[in-house]
Amino acid sequence: MLEVRQISKTFNPDTINEVRSLREVSLSIEDGSFVTVIGTNGSGKSTLLNAVAGTFFVDSGSIHLGGRDVTRWPEHRRASLIGRVFQNPFSGTAPSMSIAENLALAARRGRSRGFGSALGAGWMRELHDRVRVLNMGLENRLANAIGTLSGGERQALTLLMATWLRPEVLLLDEHTAALDPKSGDKVIRVSEEIIARDKLTALMVTHSMLQAATLGDRLIMMHRGRIIYDVRGAEKRRLRPADLLARFEELRRGEQLDETAAAMLKRAYI
Amino acid sequence: MTLVIGALTIGLILSVLALGVYISFRIFEFPDITAEGSITLGAAVAAILLISGTNPFVATIAAFCAGMAAGALTGVLHTKFKINGLLAGILVMTALYSVNLHVMGKSNIPLLTATTFGNYAEDAARALGITGSVRLLGWEVSERDISILVAVFGAIVIMGVALDWFFRTHLGTAMRATGDNPQMIRALGVDVGAMMIFGLAVSNGLIAVSGALLAQYQGFADVQMGIGMLVWGLASVIIGEALVGVRSLGLSIVGTIMGSVLFRLLVAMALRWGLDPNDLKLITAVFVFGALVLPSLLSKLRSRKPQVVHA
Repeated sequence: MLEVRQISKTFNPDTINEVRSLREVSLSIEDGSFVTVIGTNGSGKSTLLNAVAGTFFVDSGSIHLGGRDVTRWPEHRRASLIGRVFQNPFSGTAPSMSIAENLALAARRGRSRGFGSALGAGWMRELHDRVRVLNMGLENRLANAIGTLSGGERQALTLLMATWLRPEVLLLDEHTAALDPKSGDKVIRVSEEIIARDKLTALMVTHSMLQAATLGDRLIMMHRGRIIYDVRGAEKRRLRPADLLARFEELRRGEQLDETAAAMLKRAYI
Repeated sequence: MTLVIGALTIGLILSVLALGVYISFRIFEFPDITAEGSITLGAAVAAILLISGTNPFVATIAAFCAGMAAGALTGVLHTKFKINGLLAGILVMTALYSVNLHVMGKSNIPLLTATTFGNYAEDAARALGITGSVRLLGWEVSERDISILVAVFGAIVIMGVALDWFFRTHLGTAMRATGDNPQMIRALGVDVGAMMIFGLAVSNGLIAVSGALLAQYQGFADVQMGIGMLVWGLASVIIGEALVGVRSLGLSIVGTIMGSVLFRLLVAMALRWGLDPNDLKLITAVFVFGALVLPSLLSKLRSRKPQVVHA
């Protein structure tokens, strides 16, 4: 269970570059729910994910995860409860280390790391079996450096790493945006499979209307630091990409109206 | 032959320094100039303990601990107080100069009468029945020189194996990943700052051990002995990579040790042929500059070649 209560975040406060990224956002996600997040550029959707992950502390409000108040927990401490996949395929893996070593690191997410051997024999067997599930032939290349793999392979492995230990919540931040369409589809399929198989709670930011409409059981749309649309259940299942487009169009028109109204007022009074 | 044995021994002793520099420079990509202070600190701590009759093994361990403290301090300045890495190292190095003078009480401590690891090595050789001089490849070699070389070699092998083992443990792989991709390892629950402090502590601990061994071998500790040591370590690491490549961790460790020994041999030969010792640090710096710049320069030249063919 992820619960976000009234969180706000302003970057560069009191400067010309002030950005109010999150404005009193509240959101409650039940266990096992798969939520897609969509929004325009700068709407605060990635900021919301980073606030949950602890990349920065929020200015006000609180964040609760698995019944614990994690608002003041530093990022590395929250990692015991959170699995993450980043937009950039280079962000989620250590390139000069082998596939096996990367996964061994993930298998101790949020746990103590002592003087035990990272690549024991029993571990290598388990590793082989779980990597084979990806169906990419990577199980035969476990000793290869991650840096030699393609972006799609790296994202699939990052996904496996993020979910190796069951996370309280899985955060996917446009994790297919930097991939070519074919590998992007593959990674999305793997994501769906893993989330469904392990009944994970997931929050996925995406730019793709199709992904937002077809994946998951709930959708939220963000705009200017607020959640402006939140659908689930039957309504979410009926949702089509065209409906989302219409919503965006509505937003755009609303803003244009604001601008022309402002211009009219200016003309009339100045 | 005495010259070669001497060069080998010093090369092996300084390879401990090179391993320390490998950790800071290659694993954390952090040019940690604390090295210049911590190698002297190691020598000073070991020397002051040795002249008061402490066991050389204990004195060397004490040097390791002192070096760890120095490295941890640089790490704290860098990670907790957000001071630029190079500057944090400079601050600690400068402070260590005074600390080292206080530890030693004067600028130079002779160890000629103290019991050092050399005496133990000699005793061990005698116990094995090796006395007087030994004939090695047709040369006369004193049993003291050869026993010290063997002892130092043994110590380096143990340290190299220990380091290789460490970097394959859960903790060691997390340390390598911290240098490789801090964002990723933070998302996997590792406190990047703490890991860096720990890594710099281990690095400077090794460097201090190198200083302790060097003081015992040379027969003195001197407050100036750290000058230019970071560049020396960098040169060893770079030569090591040229020798064995960067394919695996174990090879990198072996390469760094080989790089240090080879570099010392080259220097000994150059000095023998009449190189002015005053030019040594200049040449070392120029060498490291070349090693850092040449690879990208060469690849640029190589990528230009096809265009020349077309034109």
